[in-house]
Amino acid sequence: MNLQKILESKRALRQVHAARPIAEKLRMLDVLREREVAIRGTGTPSTAPGILREAAVPWHPKSK
Amino acid sequence: MKIQDVIATINQMQAEGVIDCYAIGGAVGATFYLEPVATLDVDIFVAFRAEPGAIIVSPKPLFDYLKARGATMMGEYIMVAGWPVQFLPPGTPLVEEALGQAVVRDVEGIPARVFSAEHLAAIALQTRRAKDKARLLQFIEAGVLDAQRFQEILDRNSLVDTWRRFERQFLGEQQ
Repeated sequence: MNLQKILESKRALRQVHAARPIAEKLRMLDVLREREVAIRGTGTPSTAPGILREAAVPWHPKSK
Repeated sequence: MKIQDVIATINQMQAEGVIDCYAIGGAVGATFYLEPVATLDVDIFVAFRAEPGAIIVSPKPLFDYLKARGATMMGEYIMVAGWPVQFLPPGTPLVEEALGQAVVRDVEGIPARVFSAEHLAAIALQTRRAKDKARLLQFIEAGVLDAQRFQEILDRNSLVDTWRRFERQFLGEQQ
């Protein structure tokens, strides 16, 4: 087993996906989300304690 | 559920003056430059429009607009075209700059305003969560960053030391 070769082929596959037209990539996101929701059983990111989730950027109003 | 419909709805809000300008960030924004990675929500950064006579800028008109068109609130998200969308104000000078310098990409005839690759990478560097570090590595590996533009963003936003640490930690063998 040549790990370097495996990594290179994975990198090449990622590049193929990255180079797809943006509309196609966005449709892939639609499908990926549907799959994710089906697996998790919830349509929104969880806010349960202890679960890592993307946090909003803190809001600091500008002082004048 | 279609993310293109989310973008069309946001464009409509901008055309009708509900928001000043917007830019797509997060994983959906990164998808404009990288391979798609599963995400549950859409991050839209917006400059909220001040209501006449109001001191505090409020996202209320935005939510009122969407709710009047059938969107429903779900916690801190609003569901648009089946996607949970989070509207975020530019909370740091870097994100503010990213919003001002966002680029317009064509999605089958629909214009989509999205953060530049260099700004997305700099925001990932600044945010510093594990998944942000992974995203930054993806940007580097994909070779989509303009090195000079990225360096200028790091300089302007006091991120040079953070970048050096990231380089040492993750890109050491490439030095």
